[in-house]
Amino acid sequence: MYEEPHRWVEAVGNRRQYLDDQFKQGSPIVALSYAEGILLLTFSRGTPKIYEVYDRIAMGGMGHPADLEKLRFQVLDMAHLEGFNRSPSDVTGARLLKYGLAPTVKQAFEEIFKAPFIVKILLAELGRTKERDQFICVDYDGTFEEVNTCAVLAGASSIQLKLLDDMKRRLEGGLPSLKAAADIALKTWAEGALLHQTVSSDVHLDDEKGEDLEQSISTKEFDEDEVLSHLRQTLTQHTLECCVLDRTVSGSSKYRSLSRDEVTELLPSAVHPA
Amino acid sequence: MGRQGDFIHMLREQGYAFDPLRSDQAQSVLSHQDMITKGTTVLACKYQGGVMVAGDRRATAGTSVMYDRTDKVLELDRFCVMAIAGVPATAFEMARVLEHSFKYYRRSQLQDLSFEGKLRALAKLLKENAPAALAGTGTVVPVFAGFDQEQQEGKIFFYDILGAEFEGVDYAVSGSGSPTIRGILHYLHRWGDRPLYSLPEEEAIVLMLRLLSSAAEFDAATGGINFESNIFPIVKRITEQGVETIASEQLKQLCASQVVRHV
Repeated sequence: MYEEPHRWVEAVGNRRQYLDDQFKQGSPIVALSYAEGILLLTFSRGTPKIYEVYDRIAMGGMGHPADLEKLRFQVLDMAHLEGFNRSPSDVTGARLLKYGLAPTVKQAFEEIFKAPFIVKILLAELGRTKERDQFICVDYDGTFEEVNTCAVLAGASSIQLKLLDDMKRRLEGGLPSLKAAADIALKTWAEGALLHQTVSSDVHLDDEKGEDLEQSISTKEFDEDEVLSHLRQTLTQHTLECCVLDRTVSGSSKYRSLSRDEVTELLPSAVHPA
Repeated sequence: MGRQGDFIHMLREQGYAFDPLRSDQAQSVLSHQDMITKGTTVLACKYQGGVMVAGDRRATAGTSVMYDRTDKVLELDRFCVMAIAGVPATAFEMARVLEHSFKYYRRSQLQDLSFEGKLRALAKLLKENAPAALAGTGTVVPVFAGFDQEQQEGKIFFYDILGAEFEGVDYAVSGSGSPTIRGILHYLHRWGDRPLYSLPEEEAIVLMLRLLSSAAEFDAATGGINFESNIFPIVKRITEQGVETIASEQLKQLCASQVVRHV
């Protein structure tokens, strides 16, 4: 039944709709450069969503945990074999993604008789200098995007764009300290989570109702109190994951997961757990 | 198998062979023993804060000095080092394999490999390397030292060339210059002013420097302290904070004040 080209296009379209639905309730992943490194942050329920990939590379993911694990192992194997056979400096986020992850995800997405990967992945790479920090995001269809300074994964591309814009605006004054970066990341995350709530399960962003919604997402202004109260509420139910690629850490591995005390220290006073 | 975090297994699947110089192929190499780089003194000793590990800098082949700035105390991860004696080509490769294995395990399994696991990994490599070790082309006799985070204490282990593992309760030595200093360590530990494990940091560093200087006195394959060229042994301390290299400025100052003709 898929021999005819338009059938195939239709099947791929259905797939997009199915996949878009899968991410609607996901927890956004926020990553940004700060003065001494890169911060990655999200809230999770049990299963972690941020991982160490290589000496200077970290990964954050949204989607199905089993798919995420499968791809995480693919990236780990590729990175470590390359690092061993050539040199750790030859392991770069761009190569892992362009020649490893993205083709795999794209192939699975287009093989319409098989299940696609339900994933969106973000790779953050700590540069030798802060100007060379890099972020790459791959979507469920294998398309990827390289950005500097900050990146975000969210349930829909319109939300992702909105959050990225807001975050860039907040970063205009130059690279923040770790505490200020955590503040930006937390607020961005909460805005993303609030936007996810507005995208109800029966609206698709590409239909007519969806276009209005897309418009309202891009122009949405947030009330600071609403954002903070959402954060306070989330903190009681979810685990806050905070990981850094820290340029000041000695040794080759720069990845560090922040301890509970460090995380509490970073929280803005308005959302401190009682 | 990758799901279990076994990096060495993955390397093998890719066609990597750790031991290319097996004994059956190594016959012709025996007559070229003079060309194989080896000769060393390395040691590890417990002190107040953890473990101090040191090694001289010389690499020799037969009677030639190949290099005088070798680092034989190799960091495998933040909490453990392997001090190498024997053929550097094999030893460096072992260290590289182990470093990647530990990282791969940690990153894939989302937990650190246990201290015992790390010891076993080195023992397995040595066992695999036994044919080359017996042929003389790949002899490696390392000292493994680290901080066991679970038990919160520094530990020292040494191996024979076949991979048997022994715990050095207070100290361990290896390399051609080691017989000289083994006796000194025994004497100091038993009849010195205090047992070695209670030495404060600076005294432990001075001890390392004096011992390596003594080893160099009696073993041509051990490099001592070379003020002229500014070459000092490598000394690393392992504490609960991890592995740190003692800066060469500090070593230089301690050498000048407490090692070179002290009395």
